[in-house]
Amino acid sequence: MKVILQCPVSAAGVPALSRKRPLVLSPFLGETALAHTLAGLSGEGAKHVCLQAGDRIAEVLRAVGGGEIWGLKITGPDEREFAGARRFVLDSLPQAPGLPLWTSYSVWFDAQMALLERMARQRVGMRELSPGVYVGLRTRLAPDARLTGPLWIGDNVFIGPGAVVGPRAVVEDDSYLDDGSEVVESIVGPATYAGSFTELRRSFAWGRELLQLDTGSLTEVQDRFLLSDATPPKFSLTRLWKQWRQRFSTP
Amino acid sequence: MKLHQSQGILVVTGLQELNATNAASVRDGIRGSVTPEVTGVDIDLSKTRFVDSSGLGALIALHKLMLARGGQVRVLNPIPAVEQVFEITRLNRLFEVVKL
Repeated sequence: MKVILQCPVSAAGVPALSRKRPLVLSPFLGETALAHTLAGLSGEGAKHVCLQAGDRIAEVLRAVGGGEIWGLKITGPDEREFAGARRFVLDSLPQAPGLPLWTSYSVWFDAQMALLERMARQRVGMRELSPGVYVGLRTRLAPDARLTGPLWIGDNVFIGPGAVVGPRAVVEDDSYLDDGSEVVESIVGPATYAGSFTELRRSFAWGRELLQLDTGSLTEVQDRFLLSDATPPKFSLTRLWKQWRQRFSTP
Repeated sequence: MKLHQSQGILVVTGLQELNATNAASVRDGIRGSVTPEVTGVDIDLSKTRFVDSSGLGALIALHKLMLARGGQVRVLNPIPAVEQVFEITRLNRLFEVVKL
């Protein structure tokens, strides 16, 4: 089956989501909305997808590669070979056609909450620690961290002592919640550091950006000990030193 | 920054930002204007574009000063971005945030 997948350029209800990346590459339960869509289309029998994106198409195509991981062949916007193909507009996921994604930030958040359990059960390595609390691979949790479902904690996350996470929260991969932080009804984006005793309620924090889900107010937090990007640096002297020491200490 | 006193309340207005560059001068300026008859300090943040930890530190110092005198510091009309900084640091529980 051939499908023409149309990615919206931006959505009036969620303008901040397309600031860093194209809208369809915004974080969505451990992946991107686009990755979930491709998985859904593949599940419905799609084999060849024509990807059309008006916003940063090169970045979108780079993110999906050739589509092999979904068992698809993905090609650029040229739809000459796609006469009579099904058209799918990425306003909702194929897994939940009646659930809009981009109407508002609250709707985007609610869509993730609605699909949390289903997506968690499909994700490799994710386990349910207690009812509604799903935790990914290589994630470390302090014994006294308080976790309340529904809650999604991705891979390679650290939750510090005394942290309160959930209900209704998503902590994406590679994030770090320091001691005593609170994340309630919020999303912590990929590779984000939330400092000690910071509190996130009805918010989406990604790197230094903090978005209020109800008002749409967006601010860049100035202090890195409160909120910052936790992506490891590409060039690190410590890493080089470790590599050098390892190389010369090996007999 | 403008300061004026009315019925025992010191009102602070005209702060464009409250960060490392001006936090100490704002704190000292307000502290110097807190006379014995001042029972409260209202800081108008409606024109303040952003606040960082130094600015919050200055507000906490003023809060402690007023607490020792039996008074209080109120924060007036912060813009949403500044209000978010108060929320993430939980200082919205320490200061009375007033929206007029």
